[in-house]
Amino acid sequence: MLKKVIVSVAILSLVLAAGMANAAGRDYISIVGSSTVYPFATVVAEQFGKSTKFKTPKIESTGSGGGLKLFCAGVGVEHPDITNASRRIKASECARCAKNGVTDVIEVKVGYDGIVLANSKKAKPFNLTRKDIYLALAKQVPDPAGGEKLIPNPYKTWKDVNPSLPAVKIEVLGPPPTSGTRDAFAELAMGGGAKKIKWIKALKKKNKKAFKKIAYTVREDGAYVEAGENDNLIVQKLVANPNALGVFGFSFLDQNTDKIQGSKVDGVSPTFENIAKGTYPVSRPLFFYVKKAHIESIPGMKEYLAEFTSEKAWGNDGYLSEKGMIPMPDKERGKFAEDVKTLSILSCGDLKK
Amino acid sequence: METNNSGVEPEPTEDGAPEAAPALKNGRLVSREDRRTVGIPTVDNPRMRTEHVDVYYNYGEKHAIKDVTLDLARNEVLAMIGPSGCGKSTYLRCLNRMNDTIDGCQVSGKITLDGEDIYAPRVDVSPLRAQIGMVFQKPNPFPKSIWENVAYGPRIHGLATNRSEQDEVVETSLKRAGLWEEVKDHLQDPGTGLSGGQQQRLCIARTIAVSPEVILMDEPCSALDPISTAVIEDLINELKEHYSIAIVTHSMQQASRVSQRTAYFHLGDLIEVGPTEQVFTTPLHQLTEDYITGRFG
Amino acid sequence: MNKPGQAANGGQRPIDIVKGGMVRRHRAERRFKIYGLSAIVLSLAFLSFLLISIVSQGYSAFQQTYIKLEINFDQNVLSGNLATANYQALVKKALYKLFPDVKGRGDKRHLAKLVSPGASFDLRKMVLADRHIIGTTREVWLPANDDVDMAVKGHYRRDVAESERRLTDKQLAWIDVLEHRQRLEKRFNVTFFTAGDSREPEQAGILGAAMGSFYTLIVTLVLSFPIGVAAAIYLEEFAPTNKWTDLIEVNINNLAAVPSIVFGLLGLAVFLNFFGLPRSAPLVGGLVLTLMTLPTIIIASRAALKSVPPSIREAALGIGSSKMQMVLNHVLPLAMPGMLTGTIIGMAQALGETAPLLMIGMVAFIVDIPAGFTDPATVLPVQIYLWADSPERAFVERTSAAIMVLLAFLIAMNLVAILLRKRFERRW
Repeated sequence: MLKKVIVSVAILSLVLAAGMANAAGRDYISIVGSSTVYPFATVVAEQFGKSTKFKTPKIESTGSGGGLKLFCAGVGVEHPDITNASRRIKASECARCAKNGVTDVIEVKVGYDGIVLANSKKAKPFNLTRKDIYLALAKQVPDPAGGEKLIPNPYKTWKDVNPSLPAVKIEVLGPPPTSGTRDAFAELAMGGGAKKIKWIKALKKKNKKAFKKIAYTVREDGAYVEAGENDNLIVQKLVANPNALGVFGFSFLDQNTDKIQGSKVDGVSPTFENIAKGTYPVSRPLFFYVKKAHIESIPGMKEYLAEFTSEKAWGNDGYLSEKGMIPMPDKERGKFAEDVKTLSILSCGDLKK
Repeated sequence: METNNSGVEPEPTEDGAPEAAPALKNGRLVSREDRRTVGIPTVDNPRMRTEHVDVYYNYGEKHAIKDVTLDLARNEVLAMIGPSGCGKSTYLRCLNRMNDTIDGCQVSGKITLDGEDIYAPRVDVSPLRAQIGMVFQKPNPFPKSIWENVAYGPRIHGLATNRSEQDEVVETSLKRAGLWEEVKDHLQDPGTGLSGGQQQRLCIARTIAVSPEVILMDEPCSALDPISTAVIEDLINELKEHYSIAIVTHSMQQASRVSQRTAYFHLGDLIEVGPTEQVFTTPLHQLTEDYITGRFG
Repeated sequence: MNKPGQAANGGQRPIDIVKGGMVRRHRAERRFKIYGLSAIVLSLAFLSFLLISIVSQGYSAFQQTYIKLEINFDQNVLSGNLATANYQALVKKALYKLFPDVKGRGDKRHLAKLVSPGASFDLRKMVLADRHIIGTTREVWLPANDDVDMAVKGHYRRDVAESERRLTDKQLAWIDVLEHRQRLEKRFNVTFFTAGDSREPEQAGILGAAMGSFYTLIVTLVLSFPIGVAAAIYLEEFAPTNKWTDLIEVNINNLAAVPSIVFGLLGLAVFLNFFGLPRSAPLVGGLVLTLMTLPTIIIASRAALKSVPPSIREAALGIGSSKMQMVLNHVLPLAMPGMLTGTIIGMAQALGETAPLLMIGMVAFIVDIPAGFTDPATVLPVQIYLWADSPERAFVERTSAAIMVLLAFLIAMNLVAILLRKRFERRW
């Protein structure tokens, strides 16, 4: 028994030593970041790993914020090389990066993602406006009696919100606040709807914080159901409950068109073309950020960037569009492809909002 | 204080028949109140000597053995009798320091083996316990083969280092324990598969395999049937040719059959020591008398 | 015997009182049995519901649709660098030959989509393994695309409008033709057991995650078993009973109930940030899971040591074994089955854990099958989680299939535990 203990301790120290040695160099690309970009980045990574001599990059789905935090922790093999984000880097995050020595960062916009509201095919499709969405889902809404006063959300059915909508109970399944999809939904759909009300729009200019609180706070009385981060689960629940609407990324609608249908928002259907054209209002850009210092030290970095920015990946007919990513217009693609080629650096000063 | 008995009569000896026989010895018996040892606890040239030993349990809360002085002679069988909880087992376990394993057990006084203090600070208990072997109340062979049960002790003590030496010690020990004929053909069978009496003899063989000088037996037959008991008693009679044996027993018949001297314990006191025959026929102490006539115990 | 009883109960015999109460006693006993039985039936019902739903959803993942094509390993295409040649072109050519009347760019594209993009990697592997096939024409079974696979397995509805399907009317017609010509076949899905993760369901496999789990558990076992057993032996056999050991005991019991994510945070702070070990490595995962399983093993081992009868200890001490000899030669072999059981329970727990691994980067997309303790890796439950979160329909059945693999692992581990226990028990 004692011998066994000694042997295992010896093995362990060997293994540990090997681990230390390994940490000194890394022969694969390490990517972290947004769960929205994850399904696209993984496809590129796989394609890259199978068609080149390099190892397949390792991709962790940490969320945009978590990814940028890891990314900005420093330069060196123990830190990730690339982070994906479903929003632009914030000035504060850029500053933190710079503080930790991550000064040269390349910003690459890869495409767009639409956020859709969908319901079961068994029910009629919805035709919503952003204002309807805001009024149906906000915690506090302007008093329907008039005046610049907020009252707790009184609406029970869609018909209460807008007489042209069906008399169906408001029941929306969506992601929890930790999700990037939820942030974007609150900002684009609900915020967009709130701005349709004049005095709230005026408030935005005066007091941004108060506006955010009014526009982005989702009601907690059961009308909005936090259904977890798993969008497949929301799709299953929608099929089982034809009265409910679900909020998720476009790629899940794309894969399940035989079961669910997207609601029109402001009269525009959430189709591939409409999102690409930019007419569908609830869509957001997707990014990734590259550490310039790692381009030389980690094998395969340049090739990975080339793969991602190639037409066969992010082009109009590229394999990413098949996975549900909405490509950028040709001109924008050209600009970012050029940025990658010349490795042009993002300046924190440009991020002022 | 060899005084009254008839006059006081503190015992609540109910109804008629107030022990008829002791009337003869009236005036000679020591009072129940006097707990000093009567008889001669010491012998010349003892194997083991115990002087003024006190044992406390629970960090001094329970006084289990009170000022006991008792010798164990060479090649004798000393029987220890007494009612349950009288401290005879505790005393026995002091002799090979098995009480060391109990938390909160404190032993004071002096115990010597051939004149050497076994509680001296530099004494190592392992060789001591090889010198003073012990057989327990319930047969407790190791859950291993018969051979391994006997060979284990000699091996860890370096008495038999190779296989042939071990085979030899297994054979002699089992022969001496009277078990050889029964098990010689299946030494690799588990020791736990034997009958109760065989198991106890295996435990005795295991004890004598490490060549002890003293064997302590803690009610070795209490879990056995009469036939096995008789076999073990014969064995004890043979073993005393080689070893000094201290045996704790609940059976007075057994004590009278196997022992030369008998010690009677009562609530932690050593009440009486003497040649076995004398103790059982003409006890000197009222408590001894009470016990052997069956009034309690 | 019945005198006092009769006196106390006015002529009624005690045995009648006893018998009178028996009805109530029997009823109570029956009731208790029913409670117990219904508890068992209920849990069995849940278990079978779980198993049935998993198996019924997942069994089809063990088959994959393949399409038979006559591939002409054209010398013109396969000239130059064989590793980067356009194998997709070979597949397309074979398909066009099969459906000569398909014209138009759009239709051709849809036709090409019937075959998995992974088919080109299969062809490349064939060519690299045997260059003599260049210039010949061979019949090759190539994996179909996941949408085709789903349609063949009947997971897609065909009765909805064309725009609402993943497959067009023409594609469905081609599938029917292929099926009719016996060029479409469901075969055992070898890829599922030999490949790492992939974003194409038909190319995704469980082996990468299984190897990751294997390496992680090896590290966990090698560390937690000796450390846990040593700690338990020390605490149970050697340590004095005082305030400090009481404190340690309370803390160990507490640790056993700490949420596993906390160990992940600890692992992040200590192993990654302080010791600088690599992220996503089974080594670190094993270290973190070791922290998590140690309390379980220590508690189980102590219980096993406590259950060894004191007579064995006395017997060993009585012939002069040292304490260490007593423990190692006599107590430990008897306690070993209990310790092993505790260890297996701990390991099974570790096998199913995802939360602590999230913190140290093992929740990741990893295609390459890990070949060592420091290669980036993921583990089975994480793979299940990642697949469950994937949009492609074909991952639904693969998720269930992966759960079945995980369950098989657990059953295997428990069998090993039982076998080990039997072995140790036979020795004595």
